[in-house]
Amino acid sequence: MSETNGTPMLEVSGLRSGYHGVNVLKDITFDVGNEVFSVLGANGAGKTTLLATLARLITSTAGSITFLGNNVTRIPAFETAARGMGYVPQERGVFPDLTVMENLNVGGMIGERSREERIDEVVALFPDLGNLSNQIAGTLSGGESRMVACGRALMQDPVLLLLDEPTAGLSPLYVDMFFEKIAEIHQDKGVGIILAEQNATKALEVADRVMVLSLGEAFAVMDAANLTTDQLKEGYRI
Amino acid sequence: MNLNWLDAFLISGLFSVVVIIGLALLLHLQLGLTRIANFGVVGFFGIGMYSFGVLFTKVDWPFGDLPAFLVSLAFGTLVAGLSGLLVGWLIADLDEDGVLVGTLGFATVVFILATTEQDLTGGALGLGGLKFPYDVGTVKADEFLWLIIVIIVVTLIFLYVWWVHRTPYGRLLIATGANEPLARSLGKATFRTKLWLFAVGSAGMGMIGALFGVMERFLAPENLGIDVTLAAMVALVIGGTARAWGAVIGGFLIFGFFDIIVQSYIPFPKAWYGQAIPNAKLIVEGLVLMGVLLFRPLGILGAMRRDKLMRRVHG
Repeated sequence: MSETNGTPMLEVSGLRSGYHGVNVLKDITFDVGNEVFSVLGANGAGKTTLLATLARLITSTAGSITFLGNNVTRIPAFETAARGMGYVPQERGVFPDLTVMENLNVGGMIGERSREERIDEVVALFPDLGNLSNQIAGTLSGGESRMVACGRALMQDPVLLLLDEPTAGLSPLYVDMFFEKIAEIHQDKGVGIILAEQNATKALEVADRVMVLSLGEAFAVMDAANLTTDQLKEGYRI
Repeated sequence: MNLNWLDAFLISGLFSVVVIIGLALLLHLQLGLTRIANFGVVGFFGIGMYSFGVLFTKVDWPFGDLPAFLVSLAFGTLVAGLSGLLVGWLIADLDEDGVLVGTLGFATVVFILATTEQDLTGGALGLGGLKFPYDVGTVKADEFLWLIIVIIVVTLIFLYVWWVHRTPYGRLLIATGANEPLARSLGKATFRTKLWLFAVGSAGMGMIGALFGVMERFLAPENLGIDVTLAAMVALVIGGTARAWGAVIGGFLIFGFFDIIVQSYIPFPKAWYGQAIPNAKLIVEGLVLMGVLLFRPLGILGAMRRDKLMRRVHG
């Protein structure tokens, strides 16, 4: 297994979780530092389950999650945000009856920095949101919704951002833009990122390290540059 | 005070409408914003009414009617709020079916207690002895003044609901109702939020129940039928669950039409008031509800928040 540079932000050990008594994740162990850590895998591999478990939206049945040196395996979901973990779900990522600005404000109630300062930063990152600020989020396109969801997570000043397939179903233009933004968020803001993706090619371009999930098991955890096509195919069970 | 111009039917009709609007406004916070389908409205209404009534009539108060009334009202409101806290704690993490059964079950428990605890509630025979905490001369004047007081209370509830819509707390309720896991992931303690909302809403419903009991002057289990819950819910659905004004518009439209206009101003033969008009009322209410659900499923006012903001953006 490859190792993080310096002290890991997140350490996951022997993690199991799933739905209705069925374990989707089976003894997952990895750690993440201040880096872009990509989780790759085919449909049903357990990527969404993993990120939802880390965000404490799904209760793990075994194993431990340590975040910034604290065991967070059993904390309530609402405490993860206050501890610096931001989560962007794959779908239904916005509150449809609130405006774009109200959506951003829902995320901006943690920490001491002023809300205006954070909004300015988010709008600087996603300039389109400035023009859409009074629009009801339920009327946004898929790409615009993802920007709102990502911007809202950044409003919490996270140290680690969990992105669940942020480019799924988007046009190539949006896909390129999102991967550029992901790199920018990490490099300019110093935010660690766990990026669950099916688009292995694009994900490997921005990732420092990678974990390939295969049927709920960590098939490979390594530096992104060392992952071979054969390993990827085997992990995707192609 | 000369109130000859005032029809007694108008007072009672308007009073019923205002009470329904008050309950619908509180239900709007629970159902319209936070998507908690509280089918036990009458339970909280009833427990507040009986807690107030029992304390007000059974205790030999050493001071005057007004302080006794205020203490009893506070007690009824508190008991309803604590009941809401308990029921809310039980249902806050349940799905829609669980919430429906839990709240409906609570209303049934209150009805059974009111019927069987004869020493306290008078059982099926009812509990008499309630009176207005003042005397302004005639029964009609007392009732008219009580109507004004209840209108003021319901107006305050409306202003509170209107204010909630414009605060971060209101946005939190909308966010919790729309996508609770997402709200939790953003650091919102949604369980606590729903619990307090349920407790405060239930306390308000209990207070309205107590005010209703004073106007009735006689508490009986017949007051605790499911029709109270349905009236509040139907008013809200017809007016628009997502809007504060929805409860007001729906309440006046669906209940005001019959309870005020038909009963007070249309000279139907008196014999019709026994069965024909109440039955016609139920039929018309059902038809209006069906029509609204078919042609305007978001209620007459619809999702005006969305429409208004879209107009602002696109002109």
